[in-house]
Amino acid sequence: MNIFQRMQNIDRRWIYLVVALCIIIPLLIPFNSKTYVTDPSSNLYQKIDSFAGKEDKAVLLSFSHDASTMAELFPMEVSILRHCFERNIKVFTICFSPPSAPLMAYALNVAKEDYPNSQSGVDYCNFGYKPYGLFLPIVLGMGDDVAEAVQTDADGRKIKNLEIMNGIRNYDDLNLIVDFAASAAVFSWITYARVRFGANVAAGVTAVMAADNYPYLQSGQLVGMLSGLKGAAEYEKLVDVFAAYEDADNPNGRKYSPEVIKDTWVPIMSKKISYDSSQGNIDTDVPLPYKFKMARIGMNAQSIAHIMIIVFIILGNIGYFTTRKKPDETI
Amino acid sequence: MLEFISNLIAAILTLFIFSFLYKDNPFYRFAEHLLVGVSMGYAIPLVYINAFIPFVYRPIFLEGNLWLIIPSCIGILYIFRFTRNLSWLSRYPIAFGMGIVGMGVPMSMHSSVLVQMRNAMRPIDSINSFLIFIGTVSILLYFYFSKPHKGLYGKFTNVGIWFMMVGFGASFGYTVMARISLLIGRIQFLLGDFLGLIK
Repeated sequence: MNIFQRMQNIDRRWIYLVVALCIIIPLLIPFNSKTYVTDPSSNLYQKIDSFAGKEDKAVLLSFSHDASTMAELFPMEVSILRHCFERNIKVFTICFSPPSAPLMAYALNVAKEDYPNSQSGVDYCNFGYKPYGLFLPIVLGMGDDVAEAVQTDADGRKIKNLEIMNGIRNYDDLNLIVDFAASAAVFSWITYARVRFGANVAAGVTAVMAADNYPYLQSGQLVGMLSGLKGAAEYEKLVDVFAAYEDADNPNGRKYSPEVIKDTWVPIMSKKISYDSSQGNIDTDVPLPYKFKMARIGMNAQSIAHIMIIVFIILGNIGYFTTRKKPDETI
Repeated sequence: MLEFISNLIAAILTLFIFSFLYKDNPFYRFAEHLLVGVSMGYAIPLVYINAFIPFVYRPIFLEGNLWLIIPSCIGILYIFRFTRNLSWLSRYPIAFGMGIVGMGVPMSMHSSVLVQMRNAMRPIDSINSFLIFIGTVSILLYFYFSKPHKGLYGKFTNVGIWFMMVGFGASFGYTVMARISLLIGRIQFLLGDFLGLIK
């Protein structure tokens, strides 16, 4: 029995062990890797950023997933919330499934830890869990009057009495819906909110669902899309480079620029950051909290694991074609 | 201290689930059943507080909107799903649900068919739009079974198979990425949140 024949019969648990090591080692010994930002991510960033400081524009984040897909969706949720808090963008959150409710509250709490001035009911509002039976009445009702359709927030307060509702009436104002989903939930928002009322819809989806959503992205029915951990890593970088960026000329972040994002290198493992315009580099004095770079650190492990899988696929195919030509010695 | 205990429980349950990779065992099954039980236990009071109280109990018993008894009774018919003789009664609330689904058909047609067709009919002004054109036509012809797939026609429909294979490959690649991401998430929890080894 040659090495390729042995490989055909290898115990799958050895493969599991190698996969585990390929993930554990890059996490324990982190390194800086480049994150290239794709158009769907930068389009979403620019759309959200266009609402900065506007009284009559807001983003609605819909949480349509449970804890099993938190690894991919939680970093992008935190990044978008951070973007909204950094740029003074009104943000609402809502969910229609019970398991999403604690995840939604957790994402809000994690993101707002670093923004003590952001107040519930003023800068953001958690609509809370609404029974799925009310999905259509709420989605269609928000086209006329958000406060009338949703009624109360997660704390039981009347929506219409909240300060954040000044200037926010319907989808003309609540102009962007970002659905974080591990299912086809995004399609419901496109069907009812976009087709019926022309609301802008974007998606933050697991990688499994990304391929299903590309037709809607290509046809312009989604303004942007974050695909899995890679999409989350891209958004983390966008927020770091633009929304959370600070210097003497840009104390509250800076505007999106394709040249800057293309040329800027963000060393996530560095403990020092300060902007050097001549070098096009960012170094920081303040250590970036782990929660704001977890997707990029995860992508390090993802890259190693992908290389390992490609190697396994090549070896497996070599073994298959090598052994296929030889007659079965056991006959 | 509370956070440490919750993280400890989560870490132990994560390892119980991972133990299935070696082979099926009672620890894995315990964690699996616990997940189902906890999910249901969490969902029932949440639905009771957010659906039953504000939309059934309060309007009927406190505000006197007695007409809501009718849809409530129709909703209760769902429970007969569990009885063999009276399960047909559950079809009535299902019929209402199907009626609501019907309302979305025209809008689904618009977003999934009409808008997609409109974008497929754009002028061929780039390589991408040319590939989309060839892919759409060849795949549609592949699923046209009234004509034998032979000769030049058969070769062109074979191009459709290649386009589909590329699509399946992209989907599979994304699926691998998603599964690895889930494993990364759990290991980030074990090494970072629980053991504090990732900074």
